[in-house]
Amino acid sequence: MTPAAPEIARGRRASEWRHRAKMFAHDSGGVVSIAVFFLAMVVLFSLITDTFLTQTNLLNILRQIAPLMIVAVAMTFVITTGGIDLSVGSVLALVNALAAISLQAGLPWPIVVVLMLLVGVALGLLNGFFVAREGIPAFIVTLAGLSAIRGFALYLTKGYSIPIDPASPFNEIGRGWVFGIPLPAIIAVVVFIAGYVVFNETTFGRYVTGVGANAEAVRRSGVNIQRVVVAVYALSGLSAALAGLIIAARLGSGSSNAGVGFELEVIAAVVLGGTSLFGGRGTLVGTLLGALTVAVIGNGLILCHLSPFLTPIVEGVIILVAIWLNFRIFRTGRRAA
Amino acid sequence: MLTGTAPLRVQMENISKAFGAIKSLDRVNLVLRAGEVLGLVGDNGAGKSTLSKVLSGATVPDEGRIVLDGKEVKFASPADARRQRVEMVYQDLALCDTVDVAGNLLLGREPLRRVLGVPLMDRRKMHADAKEMLGHLGIRMPSTRLKVENLSGGQRQSIAIGRAVSFDPLILIMDEPTAALAVAEVDAVLALIKAVSAKGVSVILITHRLQDLFVVCDRIMVLYEGRNVAERLIGETSIEEIVNLIVGRKFQSVSAGAMSAKAP
Repeated sequence: MTPAAPEIARGRRASEWRHRAKMFAHDSGGVVSIAVFFLAMVVLFSLITDTFLTQTNLLNILRQIAPLMIVAVAMTFVITTGGIDLSVGSVLALVNALAAISLQAGLPWPIVVVLMLLVGVALGLLNGFFVAREGIPAFIVTLAGLSAIRGFALYLTKGYSIPIDPASPFNEIGRGWVFGIPLPAIIAVVVFIAGYVVFNETTFGRYVTGVGANAEAVRRSGVNIQRVVVAVYALSGLSAALAGLIIAARLGSGSSNAGVGFELEVIAAVVLGGTSLFGGRGTLVGTLLGALTVAVIGNGLILCHLSPFLTPIVEGVIILVAIWLNFRIFRTGRRAA
Repeated sequence: MLTGTAPLRVQMENISKAFGAIKSLDRVNLVLRAGEVLGLVGDNGAGKSTLSKVLSGATVPDEGRIVLDGKEVKFASPADARRQRVEMVYQDLALCDTVDVAGNLLLGREPLRRVLGVPLMDRRKMHADAKEMLGHLGIRMPSTRLKVENLSGGQRQSIAIGRAVSFDPLILIMDEPTAALAVAEVDAVLALIKAVSAKGVSVILITHRLQDLFVVCDRIMVLYEGRNVAERLIGETSIEEIVNLIVGRKFQSVSAGAMSAKAP
């Protein structure tokens, strides 16, 4: 070894770190931008209302965000494969209604929970079958699901809201508290952590990204990509069912009108977070921030006493601006040519 | 040169393949020796791609037989060919842009470690393995953590070749590996091809860049409208001759003539 060798090694290590720093900036630009945007929203609503930054309100946001957060985690997987699942709001409604009907029929609540989760998985598998095996565009398959599945819920309930016995322990899923934190929020955190690990650390997560980036490359590597895609829709169905249970338990009733427009809110949260609709590029930290942002905007606008007829307009504009900033200023969410 | 002395690795005999009325391959023969680099050339539609697809299992021929190391084989799919250690680097490279270098090299066979019984990717081992795979072939890469989308065309080509070589192939088929590369990158890829063949891998190189053939190939085989027209050892031919064989007549190619030192 020449005396210069350690210096060369140090130089290499430094260049390796520079690379990592550059890569971090490149890969995380979208996440940084949504984090900044989220903090700006929090500061804004804290300044213009007295009630936003109170413990009661923050816990309230946490409880309300849970269904959105849970489904957004699964939706991040779906969108990263280059797909979309428009049926989540309808699956949520069907499970919501079916749960109330089965509880009213006297089924024990643990069985209802398991059955409902299975219903969600089954509907997801059905979507996945048509997308992966039959090659029909996910947009069309799940759009059909959006219509038909809510139709089922409407047919079963005849449009009525079905009450759940207020004494049933089932309601704790939506109303319970553990260590001073709402149970739905804890469920959402567990789902997020599980999703994060699966997405970033397992081969399944890697193939989800790979399928979105270049499905043919993954297939040639000997991976069964149809199974990956089907699994992603099954996860999405499962998450929507879990969200449906939480909402039924929180409201103490089941209704076919639950979760109207929910799918759009979920997709907005995921895309706000920097996951590319073209597939191949997903981030769960971004999705967490995106979901928090969507929830904070919704909550903050109500606290501002804005007319409920204006709220959707303002929400839509804010989301568009956020995504536009993400595209233009941080140049993320675009694919390299 | 190994040609003429090394054992025969592949014999493709009387391979024919028609697509409808078009006869893409008409009783084509090909031999390839261990560690040999064979240049496969011909005009567009001459059958180079079809022939390489037959050998890589992507196309099933109508007639003819393939003998690999003395044994007749039948390939019904690329998986069959891969099992017999025939690898192909496709022109589109089949890389995942948003996955890092190590992830692409080890796609589909990621090393695992168990944490609380859950199988997770062993990232440290992945990067170590990837570094070793690249080092083995002398491929220089700033970091195995770089996403493939941030690499140059030559680096991407190197990753694709490195991945194919890591399956320990007997035969490696490369389809236009130097197309659309910068000059310095072409040299790097050609050096890589030499390094691969020095390890005893037989290489079939399909290219339109005739000057590349004279850098790496031991032998050139020319197809014309789906038939064998000529085979030349590299020391016994010139670019002009190859051009004439490709187009099937005496042809004054300005572009090829400019490349050659002894233009007529």
